[in-house]
Order: sequence, then structure tokens, then C-alpha cells
Amino acid sequence: MTTTPATENLQTFEKRLLDPGFELTLRPMRYPDFYEHYRNAIKNTWTVEEVDLVSDVADLPKLSPDERHLLGRLVAFFATGDSIVSNNLVLTLYKHINSPEARLYLSRQLFEEAVHVQFYLTLLDTYLPDPEDRNAAFAAVENIPSIREKAQFCFRWMDQVEKLDSLQTKADRRRFLLNLICFAACIEGLFFYGAFAYVYWFRSRGLLHGLATGTNWVFRDESMHMDFAFQVVDTVRAEEPDLWDEELGEQVTAMLEEAVEAELQFARDLCGEGLPGMNTDSMREYLQCVADQRLARLGLPVRYGSENPFGFMELQGVQELTNFFERRVSAYQVAVEGSVSFDDDF
Amino acid sequence: MTVIDTAVIDTAVPTQQTAVPRPASGDGPGAALLRTVTERSAGLPEVDPGRVAAAALRGRSAAADYAELRGLAMEAAAALIAEDPQYSRLAARLLAEEVREEAAGQGAICFAASIAVGHREGLVGDATAAFVAEHADALDAVVDPAADDRFEYFGLRTLYSRYLLRHPITRQVIETPQHFMLRVASGLQVGGDTASVAEVASLYALMSRLEYLPSSPTLFNSGTRHPQMSSCYLLDSPLDELDSIYSRYAQIARLSKHAGGIGLSYSRIRSRGSLIRGTNGQSNGIVPFLRTLDSSVAAVNQGGRRKGAACVYLETWHADIEEFLELRDNTGEEARRTHNLNLAHWIPDEFMRRVDADTQWSLFSPGDVPELVDLWGAEFDAAYAKAEAAGLAIRTVPARTLYARMMRTLAQTGNGWMTFKDASNRAANQTALPGRTVHSSNLCTEILEVTDDSETAVCNLGSVNLGAHLGADGEMDWERLDATVRTAVMFLDRVVDINFYPTPEAGASNARWRPVGLGVMGLQDVFFKLRLDFDSAEARALSTRISERIMLAAYETSADLAERLGRHVAYGETRAARGQLHIDHFQVEPTWPERWDALRTRIAETGLRNSLLLAIAPTATIASIAGVYECIEPQVSNLFKRETLSGEFLQVNPYLVADLKARGLWNAETRESLRAANGSALEIPGLPADLASLYRTAWELPQRALIDLAAARMPYLDQSQSLNLFLASPTIGKLSSMYAYAWKVGLKTTYYLRSRPATRIARAAAAPAIPVATPVSTPVAVEDESVIACSLENPESCEACQ
Repeated sequence: MTTTPATENLQTFEKRLLDPGFELTLRPMRYPDFYEHYRNAIKNTWTVEEVDLVSDVADLPKLSPDERHLLGRLVAFFATGDSIVSNNLVLTLYKHINSPEARLYLSRQLFEEAVHVQFYLTLLDTYLPDPEDRNAAFAAVENIPSIREKAQFCFRWMDQVEKLDSLQTKADRRRFLLNLICFAACIEGLFFYGAFAYVYWFRSRGLLHGLATGTNWVFRDESMHMDFAFQVVDTVRAEEPDLWDEELGEQVTAMLEEAVEAELQFARDLCGEGLPGMNTDSMREYLQCVADQRLARLGLPVRYGSENPFGFMELQGVQELTNFFERRVSAYQVAVEGSVSFDDDF
Repeated sequence: MTVIDTAVIDTAVPTQQTAVPRPASGDGPGAALLRTVTERSAGLPEVDPGRVAAAALRGRSAAADYAELRGLAMEAAAALIAEDPQYSRLAARLLAEEVREEAAGQGAICFAASIAVGHREGLVGDATAAFVAEHADALDAVVDPAADDRFEYFGLRTLYSRYLLRHPITRQVIETPQHFMLRVASGLQVGGDTASVAEVASLYALMSRLEYLPSSPTLFNSGTRHPQMSSCYLLDSPLDELDSIYSRYAQIARLSKHAGGIGLSYSRIRSRGSLIRGTNGQSNGIVPFLRTLDSSVAAVNQGGRRKGAACVYLETWHADIEEFLELRDNTGEEARRTHNLNLAHWIPDEFMRRVDADTQWSLFSPGDVPELVDLWGAEFDAAYAKAEAAGLAIRTVPARTLYARMMRTLAQTGNGWMTFKDASNRAANQTALPGRTVHSSNLCTEILEVTDDSETAVCNLGSVNLGAHLGADGEMDWERLDATVRTAVMFLDRVVDINFYPTPEAGASNARWRPVGLGVMGLQDVFFKLRLDFDSAEARALSTRISERIMLAAYETSADLAERLGRHVAYGETRAARGQLHIDHFQVEPTWPERWDALRTRIAETGLRNSLLLAIAPTATIASIAGVYECIEPQVSNLFKRETLSGEFLQVNPYLVADLKARGLWNAETRESLRAANGSALEIPGLPADLASLYRTAWELPQRALIDLAAARMPYLDQSQSLNLFLASPTIGKLSSMYAYAWKVGLKTTYYLRSRPATRIARAAAAPAIPVATPVSTPVAVEDESVIACSLENPESCEACQ
């Protein structure tokens, strides 16, 4: 991570990240960190064909009715969640984040979202052999109230900026920031993190390893997306310190509270009376803990002070050691550089 | 809350544990659970039973019964292992109890009963069932009641979910871990008399003390109706004709079904564009056939326990080499990708010499140079030069360009293992006669045996737990190591006779050569216990001595067996029969020269029972059962999760924890530092220098040291070793230097290249209070080259400082 004394770069501040337009100049590069994000993302390339769902199919008949209900809802959410994120990326983020290197990253993110959509589509086709069931799952946004409520939360924040052609005023820019934070902190950073918890809960019971494998990679991608979005926020705040006032902070906190509630009503639908190791109360603590992290990352006071109750989520940050007899190692890098030599240090 | 029928279970549980306390009527679920957890925490002072019980109660469902609560308590304990390794023992005790109850519920109330149930259900073989029935009391008395308490949670969990025999309908286990080990030992008895009981008891004793474990196929299948106990099968390349190619698929499917890993050469198949005389068409080369193999391997599930696995070897002069290198790419045309196959290069020295000299390398279609596959060393070099001079090459490429592509594939996929044909053949005991050639290694690059169209090489494996062979004085207990090796080799040799061979080619080969592969695990544990840095000269000397000692004891045993039971049929075709032992190919000064002299004399008299005896396998699963670090590998992290089919578990280096506790440094801050640094100990605040050095991970050690250790033990390994190498951020420059060095020091084979993910997953739920001072994507002046170089060349470290 690098910082350069601001005095050296005063002239570059004349152009700012959210200024309207379609900047094309990549040299000199103004935001190399965004370009690094782009390059790192490419190293994480994976394809749906690498995920093996065979053992999942064998697991499905073993599920209890409660587990089956939970899984059905979960998959239905996944079916549409990433598409909503893609739409907002195209309609809003790409338009307004005026830096070619950032747009490189956003293009890459768009590809990743497409892979996620394809993964969940493949998952659904595999889990639900009956075409009627598949159709019902994709119609979840309309038919299942607990999913509809989450979707409406997303649409509300999309609608607020959709009509904006350019960010001319401070009010426009604040609205944009709220949209960006909504998608990074609430949708990718909370709704998806909630969904990941169910997946890893299944795995902690030895079930649905294919889903977990694909989710590992989705999780890695989403972590990057969130990190990028927060860097955009940081950059905008550094360039235009007066945008971020107390009111905006309060709005962000309120938005996260609302997201926690939306995800909680989803949890009530999924967990019902509770399953071994997974119930609404634990989910509440988990979501609150995640929300606190998002707030902290944005420099806001934490709201809940809750602790993570899910041991299996603690494992997510830790290094993998996969026995290749069992699963593919998901850790390989894609881009490699250099040329043949015999005296490099190793 | 439902209480399970205690009447059945309490009588059923063997006497090895105190009876399970049951919630008394009127007792709340919390109090009952707390009592159980407290009792199971005996002797574990660092465990807080209240914390475990509370976490379990929090996660319970509305219909929670005692079994569910105990299960949740087990998970809660497992989740705390990163805080203190003693929680692993608690979790293991709770699981052991669950397993014993489940087995008892199926009728397995003692060893003899377990075998009877297994036999009734068609799982246990007739011979084993009859032996156990005849010696029921004696064998029941062999079971060590305290042995379950030696397991860590990970090990027991693995046994339970994958190894213990299950009832075909109820899917409940029908044996406890101790029944399982005694079943495995009983499956290897011969003679059926009381002397056999004593032999079985000696193997069981090694296993139950976790001092030695046979490989997984033996653990899975010994004593069953289809005792396929060999780990590895090596097949020669199919002949360059359709019938041969398709008959190989069938052979591989049969071998794979019974839990064997496959190594297969493909070097005889003509390359793309070659003429097909029968149809006057052109060949599509090896890729479409490998694609079929890929599907075939994936389709065969090893008894429901794990997927089949195979590694394809290709000689570096094959004209399809570039397409071979792309087989595991995750981009490009799917029809030319094989996601399930592992890939390895079978590299002649001549190629490495040309890389070194920066000259051209010629690629051939095997149809034009059929002799190359069966030649090695000087004869290969001459034939290769002759083929070049005759203009038979399909095309030539700069050797370094091809080498760079091989390196890139290693970095991108971890696959495309570098194995060296000439080193593998030169010192091989089986290649004394012309035409006898090692054509490939196996799935894990530790087996090197000759193959041809009628002989599929077979190897059955077992590994000594080195960590369990330190004496009371803290030094290696050499005599006990000898004794373990003697028992191990005797039983490995028996597998050859008792084994069920899925194909006639495999049976034919093994009857002639009788090779076995005795290996090791827990070398890192020895170094930690003796406080030796992995890259120190002392560590290298000790590691080499261990390999020498094991080789001595193994060969002495094989000579004894030859005296008693006869030398192996093809003994006359070996180098040993010509007075040439493996170490004679190396310039070494052995530690025990008198013993070598005696061995040499003895072999001249008796011959050997086995053509090959040693191979260091990866031991992934059995090391986790034994609770030690894998084979000869350094630790990968001080803190990592293990992903297995039985779920995810967290592991923390218990040696580090003990040292930090002793110095008052094991606290929340230290734990957070370990996590934040991805399992590296180097960033622990206030870490003393000696600990920082000792607890470096594979990523932090110079890889040169790993290669040097491997090269130093090479004289004492008649086959090879599964040697992984670790580079966090590989570049072509580092990789090409590293593998050229591995070749120069004479390694026969290498295994995976391990690298690290390009980016990490954000912690889902860390401590909420993250400092607010977040880095900002500040525009930087483009002239500042050093700044950019840092972030471009070292994305990992820049990620880490965010």
C-alpha cells in the first residue's frame, strides 16, 4: 500500500473520481490500486465446469424436510441475487465511476457475476430435475415473500440513482455513495454473507460439498468486490471530504439496520423452529456481527457489538489444505510472469 | 427432550469408558450436558466445559435430544481448537462415545461380535470371520481399552466418516475404531493358529498406538470380501492401436473401483496429424483419448468413499506435449480439457541438458520412434540423436521455451509434475536386464516400478509415524524403529499374497516382483520435538539417518522372509541379485557401515523376498488419523483448516502453542496475529527468535532446503518420495531455477507445486472493532517506480498490509 504526499499531486485532484464523463487515459495512471484489483481478480479465474456436483445429488435425498425447505429457499435467493448485482453494476457503477482502471475492474467484476449466475443456474438445474420446480425457483422474486422483501430492498436503492445521468451535485454524489454502499455492504456484504453461512452450515454437517466448493470461489470473488467498492468510497472521501457528513453516516447505519432486518425475516422463513446448529437467534447475532464489521470498515461506530456464533464461519479465512483425492485445490493463481533462469532464489 | 434408550446402550458400551452419564429425570438439559462435558474434560485443564455446554445449548433446535446436544457440544469443542488444542481431545472423546454407541446399536458389542455382524452382512470375508470366531476370546483380549483416547478429533472424525465399515442398509457403523484396527490386522493373518493371533496382536499394537499405519486401501479393505489393499497401480502406455487403448480404460476402471490410484504412461500413442494406415486418415493425437479417460476416471467411484484418481505421464519429446500442457487449463475448448486427470512429465536428462545449453529440442510422433519409450540413459541419448539426424522430428522448439511452458502450467494448475526418467531408471533394482524399463511413476510420484503390456506394477504401502519413535530421553529410539519396520515389512509382504487383484496383469506382475513401499510420516513432528530447524544441517543429518536405518531394517527383514518363504520369482532379474544395492549408485558414507556389510553378505545367501521396499507416500489421510504432519513435509501453516469429505476442521500447531504458553505468549492477541498472518508465526508480537525460526512454514522455508533433504535421503529410498514444493508467488524464473536444481542434485521425482491464492477471502466475522484508519486509493505520481514495483511484483504482501 502506498501513499504519496498530497502536495505532490494537487493538480491531479482537479479531476475527481465521480466527475461526470468517460475518462480514457491510463497513463499516467491515477488509481493504480484499482488496476491491481483488476489484475488480482484475473488470477482468481475459475469456471463452473470445475465444480463437481455429483456428491450433492447423492446428498439431496438424505436431507430432512426442514433442511430441504431451507435449501430450496436458499437456492431460490441465489438464483436471482447475482443478477440484481450485475444490473446495478451496469446501470449505475460503471456509468459514474470515472476512471478507466476502475472500469477495467468493473468489467472483470461483471464477468464474475456472470459466472456466479451460471454457477447457481447449473446448481438449480442439477438440484431440481423437474422443470416446473426450476421455473418456480426463478420466480421466487415474485412468489416467495421473504425473497421478495430482500429484492425490494435492493430495488429501492437502485431506483434512487437510476434516473441520474451524471453526478452533478453533492446530493447526487451522496445518493450514488449510498447506492454503492448498499450493494457492497448490504447486498454483497450482508445478504450474500448470510447465504454463505447456510452453505457452510450444510458443509459442517458433511453435506453438499459441491455447493460449498463453488461458494468458496464465489465468496473469494465477493470479498474482492466489496474491497474494491470500499476503496472507491475511501477515494471519494479523500477527494471530497465534505461529502461524508454526519447525516450520510446516519443514513448508512440505518440502511444496514434495515438490511439486517430484511435478512432476518429471510432467516425466519429458512430456519422455522430451528435446525441443529442453525436457528434464527444465532443468525441474528451473526448478521449483526457482520454488519458491525461493515460499519467499522466505513469508519462508523459499530451498532450491535455482537459476536459471531458460527464456528464454521470462523474457518473461512484460514488456509486450505485439500487432499487431492477429495477435491480440487481452489487456490491456484492464473497469471505467472518471468522467463527461464537458473540462479533465482527459491 | 427425548432420552435415548439407555438400557440397550449402557450394557452395550465396552468397559473401556465409564458409563455415559444420562440426564436424570427432572434434570434440565443444560445441567445434564454440562455434567457430561465436565466429565469428558478430565485431564484437560485448559478446557472450559461451561463454555462448550453453553455454545451447544445456544445452537439447539426445538426438538433437541441428548444425541443432538452431544453432537453440538462436540462441534462447539472443535470450534475452540484454535484457542487451545486440548479442545480437540474433548471433541474426540465425545465423538468416540457416539461412535461406540452407534456400533453397539448395530450389535458390535465386542470385536468378535463386530466381525460376526460384518460377516452376516456380507462385508467381512470368510477366512477372517472364521479366524476371529475360532480365536474370539484371545482376540477380544487384545483390544486396548485406552487406545481411543489417543485420537485427536480430526483423526477420529476421518476414521468415523470414511473408514469404519457400515451396515449396508442402516448405514450405521458396525465397528469401533479399535475393532477396525484389529479387523485390518486380522485380515493379514496367515496360518490361523495361536502364533497368528500373536502376530496379529503385534500389528494391532503398532496401529492402536498410532506408531504405524498401513495405507488407506489396506485400511478400507483388509479382512473384507474383496481385500484390494494396494494403493498404487502403474500401467504402461497402451499400444498405438485402438483395441489396446480401449482395453486400458477397462483395466483402469476395474483398478479404480477397488480404491487404487493409477499412474499411466501415454507415450506410445502417435501424435496429432500422424497417418492412420487403416483408414488413410490422420490421427487426432492423445487429447481425445485422454478426454475419454478423464470421464471414465470420474465415473468410477471408489466404493462410495472417494473418486477415482489417475495421473498420466508423457515423455517430453512427444509431439503433443503442448496440448498435454493445456489439459488442466480452466479456459479454452472444453473438448480438449481433462479436469480430473493429474499430469506429469517423464523427462529424459537430455531435455534438461538442452535447457541448460539453450539449444533446440526435437518433438516426435512415437510411431516414428517406437524405441525411445523403452530406452533410458546413454542408449536413449544415442537413439534420440539418431532420430534427429534421420530427420524424423515432427518439429523442433527451443528447449527453454518448452521448459518455460512447463513451469507456467505448474504455477497455474499445480499440475504437470516434474519426474525424471533417467534418474528413475538408473538406480532401479528392476532394470538390470535390457528392455526392463520404468515407464512412469504413480499417482503420487513415489512409486517407480517396471511395466509392460502384460505387467501392471502394483505397490502396497504403509507409513511409520516417526513422531512416535522418540525415546524417553527425547532421542530417536533406533531399536524401536527397527522393530516397527520389521513388523511393517512382514505384513506389507503378506498383502502381496492376500491381495485381491482386479486385473490379471496386476496379479502377474506382483507375483513376480513383490514390491512394497514402506514410508514415513511425522518428520516435522520429530524436528519440532527435537527443536531442529527444518533447514538446519542437524535436521538433514537426522532425516538421512532415519532413512538409512529404515532401509537397513527393511532389507534385513526382506532377507529373513526370503530365507523362510523364498525369494521373489524375478529375483534373478534384479540388480540386487548381481550384488548391486541401491546405495551403490550414490556416493555416500553410511552411518552404520558394519550393518551394511552384514546385510550384503546376508542377501548374497538368502536373496530378497521383495524387489523394492521403500517409498514415501503423501500420507494425507493416515497422517491425519495419526495426528501428525504429513510424510516428510514441513508444516504448511501454524493454523489451518482441513477440508475433507467429513467437513471442515481447524488445526493449530500444538508445539507452537505449548512453547508460547511456556513463555506466557499464548493469548488472544497472538491468536489474532496468527490468523491475520494466515498461519505464519512470524508476526506474533514479541516472538523470540528461536521460535520464529523453528516455526517457519513451508512458505517461509527456502525450498532449496527441502530439495537438499530429499536428495540426501535419496540413496536410502529404492523407489521415490512425494515431494511437494511451495512457492507463494511463483515466477518462471524461480520455478525454472528450482526444478533445474532438483534435477541436478539427482531427485527422481517431484510432486505438486503448491502456490497460494491470489487474493484472500475477507474474514466473515472477525472481532468487530477494526481500526478506522483505512488505506485510501491515493493517486500516485507515475514516476514513482519503486512504489509501483512493490505492488506489482508482490500483490500478496500488499494485500496483507491492507
